[in-house]
Amino acid sequence: MSDTASLVAQAESDIAAATSTAALRAIESQYLGKNGLITSLLRNMGKLAAEDRPAFGAAINAAKDQVTARIESATLVLREQELAAQFEAEALDVTMPPPSRHLGTPHILYLTTQKIQRVLGGLGFEYAESPELEEFRYNFDALNYPPDHPAMDDQDTFYINDDWVLRTQCTALQGRVFEHRRPPLRFFTVGRTFRNEAVDRTHNHTFHQVDCFMIDEGISMAHLKGTLGAFARAMFGDEVKVRFRPDFFPFVEPGVDYAISSPHLFDGRWVELGGAGLIHPNILERYGIDPNRYSGFAFGLGVERIPMMAYGVDDLRLFLENDLRFLNQFRGVLA
Amino acid sequence: MKFPVRMLREFVATELSAEGLGDLLTMAGFELEGIEPTADGTDAILDIKVVSNRGDGLSVLGLAREVLAKDANSRPTAHYERAAARFPGMVATGSEIGSVTIESAACTRYASVVIDQVVNGTAPAEIQARLEAAGMRSISLLVDLTNYVMLEVGQPLHAFDVAKLGTDIVVREARPGETLTTLDGVERELLPHHLVIANRERAVAVAGVMGGLDTEVDASTTRVLLESAHFVNTSVRKTRRQLGLSTEASYRFERSVDPNGVDAASRRFIELLREVQPDIVVHPMVDLYPVRPESPMIRIDLSRASQLLGMTITLPEALRYLQALGFHTTLAEPLFVSPPSWRPDVLRFEDVVEELGRVHGYERIPEALPFGHTVPGGLTLTHQLHARLIDTMLRQGFSQVVAHSLRDLHPLDAPGERVGPRQPGSPELAYLRNSLLPGLAEAASRNGARDLHLFEFGRVFAATDGEATREWAALAVLTTGNLHPSDRANDPVTPASFLTAKGVLERLLEGVGIRASYRRPAQVDPRFHPTRVAEVVVSDQGSAERVVGVVGQIHPLRAEALDLPAATILAELDVDALTLAPRADVELRRISRNPAVRRDIAVLMPKSVAFAEIEAALGAAEHDLLESHWLFDVYEGVGIEPGFHSLGIGLQFRKHGGNLTDAEANQARDAIVRALESMGGTLR
Repeated sequence: MSDTASLVAQAESDIAAATSTAALRAIESQYLGKNGLITSLLRNMGKLAAEDRPAFGAAINAAKDQVTARIESATLVLREQELAAQFEAEALDVTMPPPSRHLGTPHILYLTTQKIQRVLGGLGFEYAESPELEEFRYNFDALNYPPDHPAMDDQDTFYINDDWVLRTQCTALQGRVFEHRRPPLRFFTVGRTFRNEAVDRTHNHTFHQVDCFMIDEGISMAHLKGTLGAFARAMFGDEVKVRFRPDFFPFVEPGVDYAISSPHLFDGRWVELGGAGLIHPNILERYGIDPNRYSGFAFGLGVERIPMMAYGVDDLRLFLENDLRFLNQFRGVLA
Repeated sequence: MKFPVRMLREFVATELSAEGLGDLLTMAGFELEGIEPTADGTDAILDIKVVSNRGDGLSVLGLAREVLAKDANSRPTAHYERAAARFPGMVATGSEIGSVTIESAACTRYASVVIDQVVNGTAPAEIQARLEAAGMRSISLLVDLTNYVMLEVGQPLHAFDVAKLGTDIVVREARPGETLTTLDGVERELLPHHLVIANRERAVAVAGVMGGLDTEVDASTTRVLLESAHFVNTSVRKTRRQLGLSTEASYRFERSVDPNGVDAASRRFIELLREVQPDIVVHPMVDLYPVRPESPMIRIDLSRASQLLGMTITLPEALRYLQALGFHTTLAEPLFVSPPSWRPDVLRFEDVVEELGRVHGYERIPEALPFGHTVPGGLTLTHQLHARLIDTMLRQGFSQVVAHSLRDLHPLDAPGERVGPRQPGSPELAYLRNSLLPGLAEAASRNGARDLHLFEFGRVFAATDGEATREWAALAVLTTGNLHPSDRANDPVTPASFLTAKGVLERLLEGVGIRASYRRPAQVDPRFHPTRVAEVVVSDQGSAERVVGVVGQIHPLRAEALDLPAATILAELDVDALTLAPRADVELRRISRNPAVRRDIAVLMPKSVAFAEIEAALGAAEHDLLESHWLFDVYEGVGIEPGFHSLGIGLQFRKHGGNLTDAEANQARDAIVRALESMGGTLR
């Protein structure tokens, strides 16, 4: 047996005996490294006749290849075993609690506002805001309230003085828009409103409203119903139906209240959501809009009504109490 | 409005059940609020909500009209026809007696009838039962009949005892200092604009509200003066409100009562009384009706009406609906209609459109989305900026709260004049907030005041000079305790501090493209720790600086008063001012593919040199190669001379299009060191 063959046999036996990839790396270095046992054989090359050298070189390369291949295949096996052992040793209890972080939670009224903005903005309505501390004339006169309407009492409305009130309805935006915009127009707003009311589970002196209105040629109650339907379905689900009933608000004629029903809400009962109607012709005329050519609709509703209905919140006061145990429950709500 | 269904069935023959009638009325605009059996269980009582402009619905007759209009299978009864004909056929058996004088325009009609030989016993059981079902107490025959007629036809009536009143009536405004003890036994002070019914001497009733105690009918009454009148609704409302006295009568007058039905109600009363006491003597009615209201004549374009409603109403349908409701109409197009006297709410075309729509049925309106002109919808830049501010606070781990605008005073109110409702009702609602910080402090307390990071976006208010008020959008922050919870014992934690809060503001403003600087405020704000507070300042393009907010640690005394941790950091920004600030455009820079070289320096600096000055020097010294810098250490104490501190500053250099050599980096660093030395610094 030549030196080469016996070295290869010796290497193979070492490889077979190795129990770790680290041992294999050592064997590789011992036989194939710069001064390895097999590599070193090349130094004998000089002693050979020129015609024998190619064969000798080829034999040594073959030996190196053979040992390399053996190491590689042994490495694959041992690496597999080592990983298995590592995984076993590094096993984690995945049910352990993770480190916590303060996660910023949006307020549910903000999430609701964003959702309203997405839906009505998507229907082509412009978003605008008007003051919470509003001029009497925008809150009442501009909306066709007769001069002595009961809603104008100090008992119902917070007055700062005779000319300024805390707005009782976001509809107060209308006059401000009509002063400087001509039809066709589509607007909506979301904001805070105030009524001088005793506070209980379903009443608060401060709450929030959506108000939405448009004016164009040929606008009808059907367009109102269609828009409300699209809005309500976006808020409460695809199966929502809208119902109109006659009601009275000074700023609409005809005026309706609208209710929705869905098999997923309150066992399909009709639940009143807000007021709506065609914008009163007195208002159109007040702003120089010809009621024989143009018509428009308006609807409003309480913002709090939406989460109250969707999640069964049964106390209006919770929205402004800022108990994080309440608010954090809405983290997963999509706007 | 409560009534037993059999009263309705006396006016209209319908196959609808009580529930069916309730549904019909609901869809007609008279919402069914409740339905319950009568005491004897033989009938149902409907409780109907009547909207404020439909006083005609406060009578069984008025609701019967709605049933006749909406239920195509219903028919009017003979009783309805008699009511519609205003209960004709009263025979006066006595002589002319009594007089009526109207001295105020607030009384538009007054009819008085004197009836003799009355015995004021008890009303028939059926009448008593019906009144009880309607929620009215049985008192005596005469009083019960007035109430019953009011329930039937909506006209309030009042019976005076002639023995106590006399037979002459004056309707006038109260005299200064005049008082009247009303039927409820309360002595009322009357004001000159209160309308009263008086005899020759004194006030005997508050017109349209309540009668007087000393002219009331009782068991000994034999002569009665029956009042049926019409008063202006605003006058009744004002009087009722000032006296704090609401009655069935005032409730109806405030809404609307049919002025043309005044005399009919008297006749109906007499008819009912004669059924019980055929021998009464009825004197001729004295009926003053100086000005009859005129009904408008309204032209109806049915195609326009159909278009507005989004459903088609034919001419025969329109005629049927309107006639059932008592409107006078032409019979062919052009259609003109005139509303009946009990419908003062119908004034113009659109009001009639509503009548057509609600009788035809709003449930028949289809859904359609508006088409035609479109306008670009969505949010303006300002509202996008608001949303981004809120979003950036959320991304920084702050939770959003929403607090009340109306509140009482609070140690964290901003300095300055306040605004509040003139009649707040309660001290807790006396002021409009002028800062969001009080609400945040309360939210912090409510949630335990430990490790809390909260913000609010909302409107605040202040008086500017006396009368004028200002309202603006604000964003406020409260941060206290660990920025992140410590998870396991001994995990390191970072507490909120002035600088962490300043960082929150910097990132917040960066999120909307605004760069601000921070400096000690010139004026003391008592809410803040005086040496740990900064104004937030933005510079308008090349011109004035504008203070847009404040950030600081809470003043220790306020923290104690509010039971908040001493290390509570507060900040508040004027968002309206922010929206006016210049916002940086994106200036796109090439990204260098060459490696950066870092050099750290430690400089001993006098503490009097503000870091902002050092940063300015850094920028001036090597603006080409210095890519970024950061403060990684601040040390004072052992080994450092008092008044100095050692600052560890990291410098990162980078070239575009070539690798920076060590020599170049050192040269750049040395230039920076020289600049710092010129400011009093020493390289350590």
